[in-house]
Amino acid sequence: MSADQDIPEAGRRRLHFGYYVSGAAHVGLIGWLLIGPLFEVEPLPFDVTSVTTISEADYAALTGQDTPEDATPEVAPAVPDAPEEPAPPAAEDTPPPAPVEEPPAPVTPPEPVEEPPAPAPETLPDVPEPPAPVLSEPDDIPPPEPAPPADEDVAVVLPEVSQRPQPRPAPRVAPEPVAPPEPEVAIEDTTRDAVVAEEDSPTPEPQEEQEATAEEEATSEIVTEAAETPSGAPERSVRPRGRPPAPPAVAEAPQESPETPRQAPAPADDPAPAADGTADAVADALAEALGGGDTPAPAPTAASGPPLTAGERENLRLAVQDCWVVDVGSAAARVTVVVSMEMEQSGRVITSSIRLTGSEGGDARATEVAFQAARRAIIRCQKDGYELPVDKYDQWRQIEMTFNPEKVSR
Amino acid sequence: MSVNHRVTQVLTALTAALALLLALPAQAAPLRIEITEGVVEPLPFAVPDFIPETAAAGEWGGKLAQVVADDLNGTGLFIQTPQDAFISRPTSFAAPVQYNDWKAINVQALIMGAVSVADNGQLTVKFRVYDVFSGQELGKGLQFQGTTEGWRRMAHKVADAVYSRITGESGYFDSRVVYVSETGPKDDRKKRLAIMDYDGANVQYLTDSSSIVLAPRFSPTGDRVLYTSYATGFPRIHVLDVGNTQSRILESQTGVMSFAPRFAPNGQTAVFSISEGSNTDIFTMDLASGATTRLTNTPAIETAPSYSPDGSRIVFESDRSGSQQLYIMPAGGGEAERISFGPGRYGTPVWSPRGDLIAFTKQHKGRFHIGVMRTDGSEERLLTASFLDEGPTWAPNGRVIMFTRETQGASGQASLYSVDVSGRSLRRVRTPDAASDPSWGPLQ
Repeated sequence: MSADQDIPEAGRRRLHFGYYVSGAAHVGLIGWLLIGPLFEVEPLPFDVTSVTTISEADYAALTGQDTPEDATPEVAPAVPDAPEEPAPPAAEDTPPPAPVEEPPAPVTPPEPVEEPPAPAPETLPDVPEPPAPVLSEPDDIPPPEPAPPADEDVAVVLPEVSQRPQPRPAPRVAPEPVAPPEPEVAIEDTTRDAVVAEEDSPTPEPQEEQEATAEEEATSEIVTEAAETPSGAPERSVRPRGRPPAPPAVAEAPQESPETPRQAPAPADDPAPAADGTADAVADALAEALGGGDTPAPAPTAASGPPLTAGERENLRLAVQDCWVVDVGSAAARVTVVVSMEMEQSGRVITSSIRLTGSEGGDARATEVAFQAARRAIIRCQKDGYELPVDKYDQWRQIEMTFNPEKVSR
Repeated sequence: MSVNHRVTQVLTALTAALALLLALPAQAAPLRIEITEGVVEPLPFAVPDFIPETAAAGEWGGKLAQVVADDLNGTGLFIQTPQDAFISRPTSFAAPVQYNDWKAINVQALIMGAVSVADNGQLTVKFRVYDVFSGQELGKGLQFQGTTEGWRRMAHKVADAVYSRITGESGYFDSRVVYVSETGPKDDRKKRLAIMDYDGANVQYLTDSSSIVLAPRFSPTGDRVLYTSYATGFPRIHVLDVGNTQSRILESQTGVMSFAPRFAPNGQTAVFSISEGSNTDIFTMDLASGATTRLTNTPAIETAPSYSPDGSRIVFESDRSGSQQLYIMPAGGGEAERISFGPGRYGTPVWSPRGDLIAFTKQHKGRFHIGVMRTDGSEERLLTASFLDEGPTWAPNGRVIMFTRETQGASGQASLYSVDVSGRSLRRVRTPDAASDPSWGPLQ
């Protein structure tokens, strides 16, 4: 006796039905797998654009609007310039040079009575040189802090960023309350006499004065986080660090740069990229363009912000010309000199930066005298600093003045 | 190398080039300001009393400082800050300069000096000059030595060095002037040659007043003087040795009047005028041999010759055009070129030691002027105006002109004045008596 014979007829029918269902499902699945792709719908077309990631610093370097040096003053405190001249107390602290004995003076032979004896001029090699205060290093003034190295990422000095103040939470109430509506006036039916104040009526008691308090803070608009997100991050990133010098070609050839993981490995017979002259040229060009490399970054020269107005320029011109003394009878009065200088943010001239950058109309001696006169004018008239707009410091950080005495000498 | 790698490199290179192009305009130009107007005012300076470094030097410190200050003040280019305005007074020549103390009183140039007297009477003067606002020394320290009798010369030399370091030009303080000293009433005026320091000090007389003397002229080295004397009853040119006051007549043609002499820059030749009848021409003479050479030969009156500093040309006055004007001719004679064309009469031209200007006397509308013009006659400028100004002479640095000014009337007297070539700082030179015909000697 078989097992089927032991299954009742109703059970046998339900089992066969399961077979049928399973078989149909398998047939359907196999059929869909075989002919399903024939009915697939083409995906909607879309554009593929290759995107190269670029940092904010790179973008700044490409557009030339910002330089890391420009960003530095916002990130790090300005490094004070070398002191132009020592303060008086400091100069007093400077020990005078040790006196040197002078050799005995030779006796000048007497000259004829008609002519006074001519004094013999001598230079003073043995006269002790008085200390030049401009060069002395005062002990009580700390030396200027050294500037960060060129390859140091100054953007990490975040704690010194003055963070934008965050608005304090305030209930969204209008600063001034809306005037309440006037109460409805109800006309009383009965007539009343006007009340006359009696002279002997007691004076009203003075109300207790209340201390003035600040108005409850309110805001007039909703500022979303998307529109305003206070952050301590610097608004301008610094220039990225320059590429390190190219390692030897042998060391670089087998290693794949982590910046190009998808790049197919070079075949064995392919020369190493670093060994290629083009690669070096590219690296050099990039290093030069981005201010990186082993050479220090150039001095900040990019100016930003609005230019000085005509009035501001005129004020500076007038301030200097008031101190420019021209000796109209001298040869220097026919010399035009061009003087360049660097300025502190306070409006003071960095004395050591005053340079003669050009001249016209005289010999070397006259040019030197003209330059010294211009130099004296610049230094003498600055007093506590020229009045220049601080927010336009980049515009007058470097100044070039031309002193043309043509009109004065007429 | 794969194609992809090459493309990447090319793209990178292009990016770098673009970055360079964008970076170039970012090199901001400095703010450019042109100053075309200044001020013409004297430069404030301070000269504290020279610090005595020996006990015997106490009397000299104040005297030396005073002469230095007077020299600089007299130029009109400097103005002394009085000592009672000083905030601090230096006590040692080697002490550091308190620049802020001098800045506070607006001193721009500080002169620090010291003086000492040795046991043998030798005077030693040393000094340093500081640019106060620049906070640095101008040049190096100098010292002079001499006898106490020559203390004024030492002070002048200090002032010369200070002047030179600030203006860039050589000084003229240690120089002397020979002139004609005049005494007595106008109708019986006694004249004699005198020599003095440029500031009128140390006057000494070179001749007596027995005869009239005119127009003394220093030699380029200052050891001799040419002048015109009437000692023989006839105007003749003499040459005088300053050292021993001995003089001799320059032998020229006999029986003629010779006058208006002047040395050539080499000191070996003299140029002068000889008058024969109504004609006056210009000649030169070799002082060693006495050989005479005629330079002009016209019927006009030509006189007052003056060499250019290089000795190649001579400027003189002539009325060959009908009025008295200035002309320039080669030193060896030849065609002359007129350089003065303004109204009035021009005379007594003198070539500047710098060579760029010619000083002259101009008479126009009844007044006399001292003026200067360029050697081509351009840029004529009149520096003075008075009843009678005449006879200009240049300071050795070509910066100052001294001349004679005579006042009007029977009691009028001649005196010496100096004026800056810019027309500023007109000053009278103090002399014991009336003075005229100055000739400025070289820097000693």
